Amino acid sequence: MSAQRAASLQALMWPAVLFVFLMVVFPFGFAFWLSLHDYKIGQAIRFTGLENFLLIWRDELFWNGFRLTLQLYGLSLVLQLVLGVALGLLLNRIQRMRSLVRTLMVSPFMLPPVVIGMMAIVILDPGMGVVNHLLKSVHLPTSLFLASTEGVIYTIVFIDTWQWTPFVALIVLGGLQALPQRIYEAAAIDGARGWRELVYITLPMLGPTILTAAVLRSVDLLRFFDVIYITTQGGPGYASTTLNIYAYKKAFDFADVGYASALMITLSTIVFAAVLVFSQFRKKLSW
Amino acid sequence: MRANLKCLAVAMAMVCCAIPTMAQSFNWKKHDGQTINLLLNNHPWSQAIKEMSGEFTNKTGIKLRVEIFNEEQYRARLNTVLQAKSSDVDVYMSLKFREGTMYSKAGWYADLTPLLNNPASTSPDFRYTDFGEGLRNAETINGKLVGLPINLEGPLFYWNKDIFSRCNVAEPMFLEDLPDTAAKLKACQAKGDATVWAARGIRGAIAYAVSAFIYNSGGDFASPNGKPNLCAPNSIKGAEMYANLLRDYGPPGAANHTFTQVIEMLGQGKLAMTHESSNEFSNIMKFTGREKDIGIKVLPKGKATGISKPIVFGWGVSVSGYSTKKEPAWYFLQWATSADMQSRLVRRGVAPPRSSVFNGPDFKSWTGELPIRQAWANSLIEISKTGTAISYPPTERVVEAREMLGGAVQKIFLGQANAKDAMCQLDADLAKLQ
Repeated sequence: MSAQRAASLQALMWPAVLFVFLMVVFPFGFAFWLSLHDYKIGQAIRFTGLENFLLIWRDELFWNGFRLTLQLYGLSLVLQLVLGVALGLLLNRIQRMRSLVRTLMVSPFMLPPVVIGMMAIVILDPGMGVVNHLLKSVHLPTSLFLASTEGVIYTIVFIDTWQWTPFVALIVLGGLQALPQRIYEAAAIDGARGWRELVYITLPMLGPTILTAAVLRSVDLLRFFDVIYITTQGGPGYASTTLNIYAYKKAFDFADVGYASALMITLSTIVFAAVLVFSQFRKKLSW
Repeated sequence: MRANLKCLAVAMAMVCCAIPTMAQSFNWKKHDGQTINLLLNNHPWSQAIKEMSGEFTNKTGIKLRVEIFNEEQYRARLNTVLQAKSSDVDVYMSLKFREGTMYSKAGWYADLTPLLNNPASTSPDFRYTDFGEGLRNAETINGKLVGLPINLEGPLFYWNKDIFSRCNVAEPMFLEDLPDTAAKLKACQAKGDATVWAARGIRGAIAYAVSAFIYNSGGDFASPNGKPNLCAPNSIKGAEMYANLLRDYGPPGAANHTFTQVIEMLGQGKLAMTHESSNEFSNIMKFTGREKDIGIKVLPKGKATGISKPIVFGWGVSVSGYSTKKEPAWYFLQWATSADMQSRLVRRGVAPPRSSVFNGPDFKSWTGELPIRQAWANSLIEISKTGTAISYPPTERVVEAREMLGGAVQKIFLGQANAKDAMCQLDADLAKLQ
């Protein structure tokens, strides 16, 4: 490569480097710097080293938020992957009105979170909501849904699964249509059909696609905030105060910016770790 | 010749005197062509201001760019803008008892004192002392004027007279009557599907409504030596009554309710009693028939204590410390809080903080048109005389403390702790905030 070409390639790279620096490195670095300080609005900023992280270790609400975040993440991810793959397989078989079905499937995750949250509040209201009304009409027990300390996290899992399963299904559908037909033909000659074909051919070959969907959903689920905030603001009690909600309240309601930054750095580390684990899996599953 | 010289001298003296006078005269059109940005909380006042903003532009030539958000989003946006020391926001609403000290220390309020004292910046008919003394003091921090009052508000006791009448239940005269009244209403078939009691159950909103229960029961937020006092028997009693009413007579899902759900139920005629904001009066009146069947008064006093100590405060409107258009912003503040504007805002349910408006003929004639308006005005007069803005324990971290109080009350009505344990744990946690 000539020196001139190398120089021009380097020049082309700089805007991207600058963008990443401004949008990723600087905010993250600044948040880390804040996390090392006692910074409350209206008070002098004071360097405290790792004290905020030590406080986190002893903070009951952090551990409550950590548990809820993992619970929400684990349940939603498993449900969305299982249902998403099933839906993707089903869609792959649909021959008529395929584009209409796909358009309908896109609609839940195209809706703004505010709309989803408001819909959930109205539909799931324990007193006036249509769901309890329907349950009553068929003599089934009603539920407090978002107002139940035990049930709120499952209700949020349900809302998120309803919204994002079609997204996973569309990724899976794309993966299915890219699978080489010759393998299926060879398998058919060997007598592999139906369930066996699914378990021994389709799913293993879909592995990387499913993992891609898992990574995308993981990042989203671990930073899940909007629908929870709109529907419950972290309540009732602290039953839906995930780490994001907790950090938000610390920063914006209680003006404790240093501590909130430490919480966010901790959560970011968890997200990075999850992405790293999935990318290692992906390498192993590549074919 | 001598006479001419005298005339000349007099004329020159007049011109000399006139020059400083002209320099000091107030001119509404001084900032013609400028634009100021307003960030406002969703409130009857801000909605009215947005609709009337054209009048301000006609009067001053200053254009207003108004953004209104619900309170949570409003505070998040405001905090972000002010933390960034941005001049994007010139004017914003602020509750001084809640965030005044913190914002002031952070330099987020412009000092309006020099503008108020400058005749060139302040309209001669502004009459600052027309605002009640308590409200003026609330808007003054460390000797600096940091805002102007825009309203007067506090939680009031609302009850549906029609439901009470159908059930043949008398209105409660004392705080201690509330549980008995609620029990009678619950047992009454004639109330139909109406809910007996509703109030704020969401953690961050409870302090506003529970405080008068604590005071009227003989409790207090602080002990005489300035320590948190919510573990005192009477404080526990008040908080427990509030929690038990929600638990035993409240709607399902009350833990996620704030004023929006409560007012919706009351407005639809599906609620017998509540303790909600005086601000919501105009929203309640938008529902057909409520002007006839709703009763309004201050939360009944404690029977055992004889205490009636309601919560009262006012929102203020402030200029950002980072605004580059402080004087045009001050012009807006003067216009928006003028006696003329306040007289008109009354009709939108904004209780006026100016004495001349509160006692003026317009307000009196408007309240005289309907008994319910009179009851609302009487309640406001009462809370302005007997009320307090202190609905939080002794700490500078007011928001956190109020949220902790809400958390303790939630624990009681969700059955996660008994009242004594919840409130005594709260006291211990609050002591760490001090």
